[in-house]
Amino acid sequence: MKPAWSSHFEPGTLPDVTALPLDAPISRSWAWGGATGAGVRVAVIDSGVDPAHPAVGRLAGAVAIELDADAPQGVRVVPAEGDMFGHGTACAGVIRSIAPDAELYSVRVLGRNLKGRGSAFAGGLRWAIEQGMHVVNMSLSTRKRDYFALFHELADEAYFRNIMLVCAVDNVQGPTYPSQYSSVFSVAAHSRDDPFGFDYNPSPPAEFGAPGIDVEVAWLDGSTLRATGNSFAAPHIAGLLARIRSKHRELTPFQAKTVLHALAGNVTAPSPGASVEE
Amino acid sequence: MPDRPDPVDVLRELATLADQLGGAIGAPDDGELLGAAVTAGRAMFDARSCSIALLDDDQEELVYRAATDEAIVGVRLPVSRGIAGWVVSAGQATAVDDVARDPRFARDVAESVGYVPTSIVVAPLQTARDVLGAISVLDPGEGSGPSARRLDQLGAYAEPVALAIESSRRFWDVGRALLASVEAVADGEELHAALRAAADRPGDPRADLAAMAAQLAELGGYGPPERQAAGDLIEAFLVYLRSRPG
Repeated sequence: MKPAWSSHFEPGTLPDVTALPLDAPISRSWAWGGATGAGVRVAVIDSGVDPAHPAVGRLAGAVAIELDADAPQGVRVVPAEGDMFGHGTACAGVIRSIAPDAELYSVRVLGRNLKGRGSAFAGGLRWAIEQGMHVVNMSLSTRKRDYFALFHELADEAYFRNIMLVCAVDNVQGPTYPSQYSSVFSVAAHSRDDPFGFDYNPSPPAEFGAPGIDVEVAWLDGSTLRATGNSFAAPHIAGLLARIRSKHRELTPFQAKTVLHALAGNVTAPSPGASVEE
Repeated sequence: MPDRPDPVDVLRELATLADQLGGAIGAPDDGELLGAAVTAGRAMFDARSCSIALLDDDQEELVYRAATDEAIVGVRLPVSRGIAGWVVSAGQATAVDDVARDPRFARDVAESVGYVPTSIVVAPLQTARDVLGAISVLDPGEGSGPSARRLDQLGAYAEPVALAIESSRRFWDVGRALLASVEAVADGEELHAALRAAADRPGDPRADLAAMAAQLAELGGYGPPERQAAGDLIEAFLVYLRSRPG
């Protein structure tokens, strides 16, 4: 009797995969040079997105998650338009600026009542996973410990389906979900303004730093706003991942993290001849 | 020596007392707590004012419950409006340096109470169990530092305030559930059945606590070994909870 899953590693069963070019430094040119995000589906789980904003342009789809006691998992998915607060539009605008040809999907999980907000948020993530999104931007999170297991399960499912979850850590320190999980691309704000500039933090849970302090973002009614928050850093990473993925379609989340790690502003290449001691 | 009163008569007296107290015990008296919190908040930031708004039972509106500038007390704001509404909806603290440029800002509400700020910092009052409301600081002083630092400070301050509000409510809600059960007992129901009824009351936001009280009441009917075993199980679970990170 063979252990479970061992049959997947049998000769003739195991598929060939392409390694990262680790015999040469990973470069920005390799990672995203010439790429536009074309063919990559990006979900923005937020307050909605206004497609009429010039910084956003077209949406490939827009839904809202609503509570429904009679529906499976207590939520239903309905067509939706617009943005309740402007926050989702801001995030979508940042992603569009970095990956202009990405297919953006709005998933509105906020409503006029906070009851069941966590369920709606989880429902939105579940919808994005089931629809086969490639990148999911969540500039929202929950502190409710009751949702720890549910979001962890969804994050695991996304990871194993090669779906890259990008989540802003809370603006105030403290555990929030799903940003806390190791498989998620957790992002906090730094003060530089290069949209392609980001850092890697070797002391998570905020693994990556991207522009999010005094940044100009799209807002309601075609306006713009100068804002500060980790919320606006996350879509910078989401946009980069969309761009990278449009050029390297089969990249896994851990490979993508390796690419970002190699290209982070604070990461330097090892000196020639350096090796890992046995 | 006078005869000892019949326990059922005692329960009826308690039930009558509870009925007469009625609405006086219908809501927790947290005015002193909230007042102290906004006073300290205003001083901490050398701000123009500080206020606390709590969610109503339906979680559709924020109700301003305390403020150093009392004109706003009693004002209701839908959670879909205002920067405070955004903060509780998203669970994210927010600092806005120029509210005139932020369409989220409910200018009409500010004008109605007679003060329109230039800048605002708002943090959610939330615990690991629930979102309770928001605390707002209007026009923090120059010495309180840049927006990012103000966010950190207000967020750190909001956490113990939220825990204090939650603790106050839980103590009150357990008391209400027990008193409601006393009424039922006076009518002949068994105590643990009465507590379960209180736990099942529609819309009761703390039904889980009443359910726990019902379980404890039922355990009370068993012998010492059973009660000891139950206590050991609860303690083991608490040890696990305390060991979890965060």
